[in-house]
Amino acid sequence: MSKKVLVAMSGGVDSSVAAYLLKEQGEEVTGLTMCLGSEGGGAARCCGADAIADARRVCEKLQISHFVFDYAREFEDKVIGKYVTEYGRGRTPNPCVDCNRYLKFGTLLAQAEALGFDYLATGHYAQIVREEGFFLKRPRDRVKDQTYFLYALAPAALEKILFPLASLTKDEVRAIAGKAGLPVAEKRESQDLCFVDKHNHADFMARRIPGSKPGPIVDRQGKQLGTHRGIAHYTIGKRSGLGIAHPVPLYVLSLDAAANRVVVGEKGALKARGLVAEDVHRLVEDWPPEVSAKIRYRRKAAPCDVVFAQGKITTLFKEEEEAITPGQAVVYYHGDYVLGGGTIAAVL
Amino acid sequence: MKRIYLDNAATTPTDPEVVKAMLPYFSVNFGNPSSLHTFGQEAKRAIEEERDRIASFIGASPEEIVFTSGGTESDNLALKGVALAGRGRGDHIITTVVEHHAVLETCHYLEKEGFRVTYLAVDDLGIVDPESVKKAITDKTILISVMHANNEIGSIQPIGEIGAIAAERGIPLHTDAVQTFGHLPISVDELNVSLLSASAHKLYGPKGVGILYIRKGTKIKPIMHGGEQERGRRASTHNVPGIVGLGKAVELAAQSLQEEREGLSRLRDKFIHGVLSRIEQTGLNGHPVQRLPNNVSVCVSYIEGEAMILRLDMMGIACSSGSACSSSSLEPSHVLTAIGLPHEAAHGALRFSLGRYTTEEDIDAVLEILPGIVEKLRSISPLYKKNGER
Repeated sequence: MSKKVLVAMSGGVDSSVAAYLLKEQGEEVTGLTMCLGSEGGGAARCCGADAIADARRVCEKLQISHFVFDYAREFEDKVIGKYVTEYGRGRTPNPCVDCNRYLKFGTLLAQAEALGFDYLATGHYAQIVREEGFFLKRPRDRVKDQTYFLYALAPAALEKILFPLASLTKDEVRAIAGKAGLPVAEKRESQDLCFVDKHNHADFMARRIPGSKPGPIVDRQGKQLGTHRGIAHYTIGKRSGLGIAHPVPLYVLSLDAAANRVVVGEKGALKARGLVAEDVHRLVEDWPPEVSAKIRYRRKAAPCDVVFAQGKITTLFKEEEEAITPGQAVVYYHGDYVLGGGTIAAVL
Repeated sequence: MKRIYLDNAATTPTDPEVVKAMLPYFSVNFGNPSSLHTFGQEAKRAIEEERDRIASFIGASPEEIVFTSGGTESDNLALKGVALAGRGRGDHIITTVVEHHAVLETCHYLEKEGFRVTYLAVDDLGIVDPESVKKAITDKTILISVMHANNEIGSIQPIGEIGAIAAERGIPLHTDAVQTFGHLPISVDELNVSLLSASAHKLYGPKGVGILYIRKGTKIKPIMHGGEQERGRRASTHNVPGIVGLGKAVELAAQSLQEEREGLSRLRDKFIHGVLSRIEQTGLNGHPVQRLPNNVSVCVSYIEGEAMILRLDMMGIACSSGSACSSSSLEPSHVLTAIGLPHEAAHGALRFSLGRYTTEEDIDAVLEILPGIVEKLRSISPLYKKNGER
């Protein structure tokens, strides 16, 4: 008996191949693109008009129906709004986590269920396994592994989600797309934030945070070394663009929103031994003793000890980690299993 | 699963009698009407017969009918053709904000070519005020184009009154009658129009054929150049089977128009009443009375129109949305926006368009199914509050 599957399609090669594979397996597949609106001034979002048209072309090729749901308002409320607020607080937020949590695997999943679909599928590189329960695991392609962005899903959601790319590498996915003649096989990878491209980030932030104003750049002793353009323009660990002449390269160490200061120092000072995470989500209820934590998407998971207290997780790394950044997600693993994660609130 | 087709405003099924009439023109009567031999002359006779029939159907003379490839081409020919022919006298065109894209996009093109276009607003029922047309006319106005009835919300425009105003000033009035041709009685004299577009596939005819009525004396230039077909107004070998199909569709429409109009209006009103009374926080789009007999356009607050369409489609029911996120522009429909619907309500719009084969059982079935779908989708909407809840 074939299953009814709704596939979230961004118009990119990954979700297109996900839909193709499900169709090949004989499932009843329907394509859906989330319309996320457009930033004033015409900056395209990943799910903008072109993306919708691309997804539609793929669906035509696959001979499946394609629908578009409007998520512009929810995207603004739950993702962009939070992104901007967090930056204003001197944090570096992770909007992809929120988009997955609230939109794709929140509202869209609920809609899929209400519409009578058995599953919601996406083109994420991640894996769900059924053992004595449902678990989120790292996929075969370790480079593309996107489990970092998926830790905040509700555990019950795992039963309703399919990740058809779990056991494929990106190269294999491209090859499948090419062989199947999918019109997006040659499409370039999307890397940046979907709602603002990196060249316009400063303008975007200036527009969204009107209160953002210049202030001092100081060293750890509080001595002023220069002037910053507003803390929302800086990220911890960032080196370039400080505009300060100094004998050794300086890096952003922390952002002090209350005093409107950017604190800088040498690279070695970026290292820290631990962190406190808040807004904690557990995909697995009981955690084993061996835990490793990933503090950025492109960082290896590092062994650590964790202590739960008052809804927070205190995390101490076995070896110091560099540029732990408040606002980013910290995601905990046991081997390939995702245990859960949280938002970095403080650096220890 | 029984399938219920309620998207007749998009296209209609081709009537079996129409198909039957067309078939010989693919095989035995395949001639080119421009040829001098018997094959050609037989085909020529066929299309001229249909031209006569179509002309008398709208109270025109045969030589005032030009065959085209459909509604979009007819609109293009009317607007570009009259604009180019009138260039010496003026450069101003008047239309409305609720026109079909075939008219709006042609107007945008003409603006790039140096013409000025006034886009008239409509009231919240989607109707154009003839007075606003009068006020917009300048001594440079060379064309007015106002659709007969709107494809999305069904509102019927006071074309006769606008036509009288245009005639008084000696300005040609074009009307896009794609939604009304074959569905409402049309007399080009009563409507006071100089040009009228129509398409076969909206009245149970084949796709790819339509007409433009051009009143005698209207100055127009061709947009297709080539052979001498259609008295030089539209080059290209005639689509003989299509024209024969259109003629047959008109013949059938002429026989059943009045009866169909009454029957559909009754079903339409039952449908509208059913939706509005069974589902809270819904509203009718467009004019309640001055309305196409087959159009039911409603907005269901707090729901994604496409989600409803998807669910209805899964249950075998075909209708369309009012939002256009799908049609690769991200904005809701220009028509729903023009009648003042807020973005969110416009996204929850549904259009059901009934047709010749729609039965009362179909309507009952949809009225049975729709409230449950709406309730389910609303239950997961963060915005939805029941009437009375705060």
